[in-house]
Amino acid sequence: MSEIRLQVNNLCKSFGITKAVQNVSFTINKGEVHALIGENGSGKSTLTNMLTGIYSIDSGTFVLDGEEIHPKNQVDANDHGVSIIVQELGTLSGLTVAENIFLGHEDRFVKFGIKNTKQMIKEANELLERYGFDRIKAQRMIDDYNFEDRKLVEIVKATYFDPKIVVIDETTTALSQEGRNELYKVMDRIRESGNTIIFISHDLQEVLERSDTITILRDGVYIDTVKSKDVTEEDLKRLMVGREVTGDYYRSDYGSVISDEVVLSVKDVSVPGLLSNLNFELHKGEILGFGGLSESGMHEVGKAIFGASYDREGTVKLADGTEINDIPTAIRHSIAYTSKDRDNESVVLNQSIMDNICLPSLDELSDKRHMLHDKKLRSFADKFAKEMSVKMVNVDQFVSDLSGGNKQKVVLARWIGKDSDIVVLDSPTRGIDIKVKQDIYQLMDRMRKDGKSIIMISEELMELIGMCDRIIIMKDGMISGQIERHETLDENNLITMMV
Amino acid sequence: MAQSGNAGTTATKDQVKKVSEMSLIRTFLPIVGLIIVFLTFNVLTNFRMIKNMPLVLSQIYVTMIATTGVFFIMTMGGLDFSQGSILGIASIVVCLVSKVSIPLSIVSGILAGAMIGAFNGYFYVYRKIKSFIVTICTMFLFRGFIKYMTTNAPVAGSASLINYDSTGLKVVLTLVILVIGFVLFRYTKFGTYLKAIGAGEKAAMFSGVRTDLMKFWVYVLSGAITGFAAFVNVIKVGSVTSSGGNQLETQILIALVLGGMPISGGAKVRFENIIVGSLLYIVLNSGLTMMGFSTQMMQLIQGIVFLVFVAIFADRKSLQVIK
Repeated sequence: MSEIRLQVNNLCKSFGITKAVQNVSFTINKGEVHALIGENGSGKSTLTNMLTGIYSIDSGTFVLDGEEIHPKNQVDANDHGVSIIVQELGTLSGLTVAENIFLGHEDRFVKFGIKNTKQMIKEANELLERYGFDRIKAQRMIDDYNFEDRKLVEIVKATYFDPKIVVIDETTTALSQEGRNELYKVMDRIRESGNTIIFISHDLQEVLERSDTITILRDGVYIDTVKSKDVTEEDLKRLMVGREVTGDYYRSDYGSVISDEVVLSVKDVSVPGLLSNLNFELHKGEILGFGGLSESGMHEVGKAIFGASYDREGTVKLADGTEINDIPTAIRHSIAYTSKDRDNESVVLNQSIMDNICLPSLDELSDKRHMLHDKKLRSFADKFAKEMSVKMVNVDQFVSDLSGGNKQKVVLARWIGKDSDIVVLDSPTRGIDIKVKQDIYQLMDRMRKDGKSIIMISEELMELIGMCDRIIIMKDGMISGQIERHETLDENNLITMMV
Repeated sequence: MAQSGNAGTTATKDQVKKVSEMSLIRTFLPIVGLIIVFLTFNVLTNFRMIKNMPLVLSQIYVTMIATTGVFFIMTMGGLDFSQGSILGIASIVVCLVSKVSIPLSIVSGILAGAMIGAFNGYFYVYRKIKSFIVTICTMFLFRGFIKYMTTNAPVAGSASLINYDSTGLKVVLTLVILVIGFVLFRYTKFGTYLKAIGAGEKAAMFSGVRTDLMKFWVYVLSGAITGFAAFVNVIKVGSVTSSGGNQLETQILIALVLGGMPISGGAKVRFENIIVGSLLYIVLNSGLTMMGFSTQMMQLIQGIVFLVFVAIFADRKSLQVIK
C-alpha cells in the first residue's frame, strides 16, 4: 500500500526577495489522496506549479517513482505522468472542447502533417461519455460552456491519460455541489487505480473528508505530515497558523452598537453582466463585509462604489448628497479603494514608494502656486511608510522589489496619508503572510474606532466572520443574504447562502 | 522568522545597490558619451568642430524644442512618429500667415500643431488605437498634404522673416520652452502623473489620475510645441519644400534614446535626457558630416549607435507597456 510515489527533496523557490518555498521535503505514497494545506502564501501552489513545470525550480529535486524529474512545461510534465487542474480558468478560449482536451498532444492525430480532426473529436466525445459528462460536446467551442462545465472539461483533460499524479489546486470552490460530486467520483477512481492525487483546498472539512494524508505548509516552510483520521479541524488550524488561533487575531468585541449615521448609500446599482440591482447602506464606524464565490460579482461592488466600473447604472451617494461617478471624485470625497489585483490596479509597480504614497495626495502636497517640493513629498511618504512599518531601505526603492505584504502596506499607507473616511478593501490579505495579516486586521480595528467606515470584500470567510459588523453575501451578481456579527457564526452559515 | 527577516533585508540592500549602480550608468553614460564623442570628433577634424560651433548648434534648436513635447509623450509610454509632418504643416501655416502678421503666424503655427496633436490624441485615446500606429498614419497623411501644397513651388514666407534669424532669439526661445517644460515636469503634479501613467496606467487611474484626459492633452501639447518650433524652423530656412520637417521624428527618437531615456517611459525618465540627447545627436551628426561620410554611411552608423543605446537603456521589466 504505502509504496512511495513522489519524493520532494529540499525544494526552494524565491520570487525576488520573497522566499515562497524554503527547503521543503516530504514524501507522497501511491494510491492516496494527499492534501496540501496552509494559509494563503504558504507555498502550496508554488510547490505544485514547480512539480507541473509552470515554474522553474531554484534548488532541490522531485523524485517520481525513483527517477528525478525536471518538467520544463505542462506538456512535459504530462509526459512524465503529472497533470494539474488549476485554480483559475485552465482552458483556452477560442478552441473547441476537443482541442482543449488534447492540447499539446495533437501529434497522435497527425498523419503526414495533417491533423485528423474527426478522429480527435470522436475520441474526445468517447472520453466525455466515459466520465458521464455527455452533455458537453467535443466539437463545440469551449466558449459555449460556463465556468463549471469548462472545469469539467479540464478534469477530463488532466486525467484521461491515467497520470501517476494529479494535482487538484483549489478547484472545488469553483464548483457547485453537483460539480464537486463529479470531481469526487473522478478522485475515487484515480485513487482506486493506484495513482495519486495532490489535493489543495481551503475547506478543511472537505480536506478531512476526502484525503488520506495531509501535509501542512506555513510561510513556505514544511510543518508536518499527518494522517487525516488522527486529526481534527482545530488541530489543522493550529498547525497552519502556528499557534492557538485566538480572538486576538481578529477583533474580539461583540455586540457593539453601530451608529445610525449613514455615510454612503448605494441605490439600484447594476453593472451589465456583473451586478444587478444592488441596494445597501454603509454606516459610520462600521466594517461591512462582502462575501461570495469569486464570480459572484462581489469584487465589482468595490469598483462600483469607487466609480471605476464601466457602464454602471444607479446611484452611489454620500451623506451630503454628492454622487460618486468617477475615481477622481471618489478620491476627492475621501473614498479609498484597494484592488484585488494589487500589482496592476493598486500600486504603480515600476515607481518609487515615495511616488506611490504621494500620488493621490498631490493636490494637498502642492503649495499655493501648485508647485511640489521633494522635501515635503519625501517626509510625507516617509512618515506614512514608517507608520505602516513598510520593510524598505528608503522611500526611493521601487515597489516592484517589495513582497506582496509590503506592497499592500504601501497601498494602505497612501490612503492613510490621504486620511480617507470610507475605505473599500478588496481582498486586503490576499497572498499575505500571517504577521502582516494581523497588522492589517489591527489597522482596520483602529480605523473603525476612529469613526472610519470600511467595506471589506473577501473570499476568506473566516476573516469576514472575524472582522465584520455585518456581512452581505453575494450570488450571481445579487445580494443573497445578510448576517450580523455574532460569536456563534461559522462558515457554514455563509456557505449555504453562497451556493 | 527573525532570521528570514534579516535575510530579506540584506537581499533588498543588494538589490538597491544594483539598481542604484544601474541608475548611475543611466545618468552618466550619456554625459560621458557626449564628452568623448565631442573630443574625438574635434581631434579627428583638427578642431574644425569647435570653430564651427555656431553652425553645429544652428541645427539643434528645432530638434530640442520638439523633443520636449515628445519627451512628455514618451514619459507616459506613448510614441509619436508624426512630428516631422507636424513641423512641415505648421511651417507652411507659419509661412502663409507671416505675410499677414508675424505674431499671428506664431500663434497659427502653434494652433496647427495642436490640431494635429488633437487628431493623434483622439484616435489614440478615444478610438483606442496604439499610438505608434496612429502617428505613423498621420505621418503619411500630413506628409501627403505637405507634398500637395508644395507641388509647384516651395511655400515661401514673408521676406521680413529673415530679420528674426538671430542665434540670440533662437537660444532664448529654446530656453523658454525648456525652462517651462522643466518646471512643469519636475515641480508640478503634471510630471508625476505622466510618470505614473508610463509606469502603470491602470494603477495611475485607480490613484485618481484622469489618464485618458491627460493622454489626449499631452498629444495636443506636444503638437503645439512642435508648432512653435515651426516658427524657429521658418526663420532659418525662409520657405518650406516637400521635404520640410522630414525625419524629425527619427531625430527626436534617437536624441531621447541617446540621452538615456528608457523607450517605455515611466519613473526612470529624467528631463536632462532631452538636453544631453539632443546635443549628443547633433554633435554625432555634424561630426560625421565633417569627417566626410556619405549620407548612407551616416545612416548606417546612426542605426548602430541607436541600437546600442536602446539595448543599454531599455527598461526590460516594463517593455510590454509601450502603448
